[in-house]
Amino acid sequence: MNLRWSLGHWGLTARIVALSLLLLLLVQAAVFSVVRLSMEQSAQRQVTQELMVGERLWRRLLDQNAQKLGQGASLLAADYGFREAVNSQDVDTIRSVLENHGARIGATVTALLDTSMALRAVGEGQDESQIEPLLKRLAGVSAQQAQGSQVALVGRVPYQFVLVPLKAPVIVGWVLMGFPIQQKLLDDMRALSDIHLALVSHADGQANELVASTLPGDVLGSITTLDESVKELPMGEDRLVTRWVKLDVGASGSVSTLLLRSVNEVVAPFRRAQVALAWITALGVVMFALGSVFAARRVTTPLRSLVNAAGIMGRGRYDVPMDFTDRKDEIGGLAQAFDSMRINIGQQQDEIRQLAYWDRLTGLPNRARFREVVQTHMRQVTEGGIPQSGQNMAVIMLDMDRFKHVNDVLGYAFGDQLLIAVAKRLMQCKLGKDDMVARLGGDEFAVVLMGSDADTATVLAQQIAKSFEQPLALDEQMVDMSASMGIACFPEHAQEVDALLSRAEVAMYAAKARTTVLQVYSPSLDSGSAQTLSMLSELRQAVSQGELRLFLQPKIALQSNGVVAAEALVRWQHPERGLVPPLQFIPFAEQTGFVRELTNWVFREAASIFKSLDSGSPQLRVAVNLSTRDLLDVDFPARLDGMLAQYDVPAEAFCLEITESAIMDDPQRAQNTLNTLSKRGFKLSIDDFGTGYSSLAYLKSLPVDELKIDKSFVMNMETDEDDAKIVRSTIDLAHNLGLTVVAEGIENALVWEKLKELECDEAQGYFMSKPIAASEFNAWCQSWNQRHNLQT
Amino acid sequence: MKHRFAGLIACTALALSAHATDLQVQVQDEQGKPLADAAVFLESRDAKALTKPLASIEMAQMNRQFVPTVLIVPTGTPVSFPNRDKVRHHVYSFSPIKKFELKLFAGTPANPVVFDKSGIAVLGCNIHDNMAAWVVVVDTPYYANSDKLGFATLSGVPAGTYHLRVWHPRLAVGAAAADQTVVVGTTTANITYKLVGLTP
Repeated sequence: MNLRWSLGHWGLTARIVALSLLLLLLVQAAVFSVVRLSMEQSAQRQVTQELMVGERLWRRLLDQNAQKLGQGASLLAADYGFREAVNSQDVDTIRSVLENHGARIGATVTALLDTSMALRAVGEGQDESQIEPLLKRLAGVSAQQAQGSQVALVGRVPYQFVLVPLKAPVIVGWVLMGFPIQQKLLDDMRALSDIHLALVSHADGQANELVASTLPGDVLGSITTLDESVKELPMGEDRLVTRWVKLDVGASGSVSTLLLRSVNEVVAPFRRAQVALAWITALGVVMFALGSVFAARRVTTPLRSLVNAAGIMGRGRYDVPMDFTDRKDEIGGLAQAFDSMRINIGQQQDEIRQLAYWDRLTGLPNRARFREVVQTHMRQVTEGGIPQSGQNMAVIMLDMDRFKHVNDVLGYAFGDQLLIAVAKRLMQCKLGKDDMVARLGGDEFAVVLMGSDADTATVLAQQIAKSFEQPLALDEQMVDMSASMGIACFPEHAQEVDALLSRAEVAMYAAKARTTVLQVYSPSLDSGSAQTLSMLSELRQAVSQGELRLFLQPKIALQSNGVVAAEALVRWQHPERGLVPPLQFIPFAEQTGFVRELTNWVFREAASIFKSLDSGSPQLRVAVNLSTRDLLDVDFPARLDGMLAQYDVPAEAFCLEITESAIMDDPQRAQNTLNTLSKRGFKLSIDDFGTGYSSLAYLKSLPVDELKIDKSFVMNMETDEDDAKIVRSTIDLAHNLGLTVVAEGIENALVWEKLKELECDEAQGYFMSKPIAASEFNAWCQSWNQRHNLQT
Repeated sequence: MKHRFAGLIACTALALSAHATDLQVQVQDEQGKPLADAAVFLESRDAKALTKPLASIEMAQMNRQFVPTVLIVPTGTPVSFPNRDKVRHHVYSFSPIKKFELKLFAGTPANPVVFDKSGIAVLGCNIHDNMAAWVVVVDTPYYANSDKLGFATLSGVPAGTYHLRVWHPRLAVGAAAADQTVVVGTTTANITYKLVGLTP
């Protein structure tokens, strides 16, 4: 992660650096090329310029020489003695004077011409033939044209000549002076300028000849092969740019001065400037690189920090403040924006979490939060391997009884207040620091107890149940609260959160169904559990293999002591476990719907043996318990008809016992079924009367013949005056409504006598007989009848 | 102007003695433009015999110029060279008819220069190269300078045949005066003379 960020960071920095360096290099390259171009042009121009100046200088030098010559010649022409000698035709003197004056200025040729430019005398010791070419040139030239400087080839050597009139006082002749243009003049020129010179002469009909040169010997070789079209001359690594300066020597040939300028010498300062520029560029690149790295870091370092901070935010942490918020630039603005975003998102996150995890009504955590806590605990535990003791956890799921009823009757606002009050009660329980109370939804609450097992959870659940005994005062109304609680434990009952919750719920519904207030989960409660499935198949097997047994518990008429009825009960003779108690499979059968099979079995069994039963009473009734599922089954009456027909038993021989709660699950359908059954001729009895909430007025609307007072009232009536009153009033009311009354749970004679006193119609209980096998029923009846002196 | 005066006096003298007449010559160049300062004179044997040197005549130097530029004198005439400038002059002549040299002088040199041979002498100043003057020495009493319009009047010339000589400084150096034969009658004659061979 760090590496990647650092690469990314370098990527941006590198890009910025590369871009600025590229731009710098582009600019520098442009500058360099422009400079180079202009340098070259400038050098070229300078060379050309210098050569032009050189030409002017060269011509000027020649002029100066000519002037020197002219001055010498003028001096000679003005010399009175010379004029006198000329007028006196003294040739020897004339030649001597000519030689003398020529020597003064270094002229190698000095001559006197007459007015028609014919030679009169040359300087002493000088060769007349030397000036012949010039004389040829001067022939026919007017005096005015002849004046000034002339160049002529003497042999192959160019000579510079001047012609000055000799006046006495009118022009009587001409003084001619000349000297060769040679090495010394070129050296003088070279000393004045950086230009090399080469003097090339060309006499008619002959090849070019190098007369003099300032160039080193190795370069000279190629000179004469040059003509004026050649613009450059190589010299070692250097090259020389040329300029041809032609001197007028008349028609006899030509003399050219070749001016040569070294390009390298001209370019050298430019080269040095280029080198300096290259150094500046290199230095600039380094400084630019450093500068842009610094500048880029100024951007990328905060960016990286912001990216990190954003990553932290992305992982859900909003409490880490951003860096660089104190910067005044755009980065600072970005950091501030990020920071305020962090704060805002954090707040929103808190709100969302509040909404997501908390119930608004009660202020308790909601199902999601509860689930998360349980799950987190499970994960922590299972990550550490096998759960240790103290790491277990119990969940109590609580559901209000009759809450829907409260809502319907008292309104939703009241229901809400009730829920809030329940939440408060729950919060008042003693809970550990990690424990939690949550509202899972509707009237469903849950408590998670960390480090608890089923026993400690049961203790707490009992405390809760106790706290609920206190009625609630809401809106000046007193409300009785009761709740059913289911307990499921981790890890015994489930290792997964949803399974744990669902098992707690199963247990809770079991408690509700049994009105036991409190139920610890057991797989038998759970129709979906593996244990349940095996139980189910075992039950099926029990039916098919004939493991079930029919037991009968006699009902005695209190007035006559006669055995007037018997309650048919099913017992399971398990081949391995022996006799299975009813509580271990009846609730299970009710939950799974197998109870219908059991009802069928009991009814069929009772019908099949009915004719063999002899209780001693003329009209024995067999009571069969129906479950809710039987009542909701529309085919149920028809099935009973079939069995009655099969065994030729009248419907009147059966009494069908229904609990209040079984009716209340779906009163409309139950009533329909009950009506059908009643029309068939079955007697109908309300079982466990008093535990439910049905009113007598409601029961009166049902086709019921009998009430069966719950044993909880009967068993306590000898000690509890209230229960006794309930029993008494129930009996009175039932009789007033034309119903017979059966009391169950009679365990001693006192109760027996009491019930008799209260004119209860029939009694059932261990005092008379526990349920006995059907096969033993006749014998028991005979025995009973004998004890009570009854004639059959 | 003094020589003109002198000429005029000479002519008047001749006219008194014989049949004499005036000859007017206009000197022109080849283009017909009048030439001033030309020397015009008539030569003949008789005339030569009548030649008499002038007593004295000046060739002055004023403003670094010779005055006059062209001076015509009969043979044997002494010419003085008064210097009227503040600077000194060094007058010389290399001409064959009279070579002389008056070295650096101020005022008038003591001895005048006597021109005793006929011909043309070129005078120069060794100090001032641009100063030039010509002395035309003639063996005749009949001579005159042409004026600005080129006219030269020869007075009191007896009838007869003469060589009319015309010379001008623009003729080539050392060239002799042009020569033309003229017959002078008793009446005044006008002659137009075109001089050839002039330098520009």
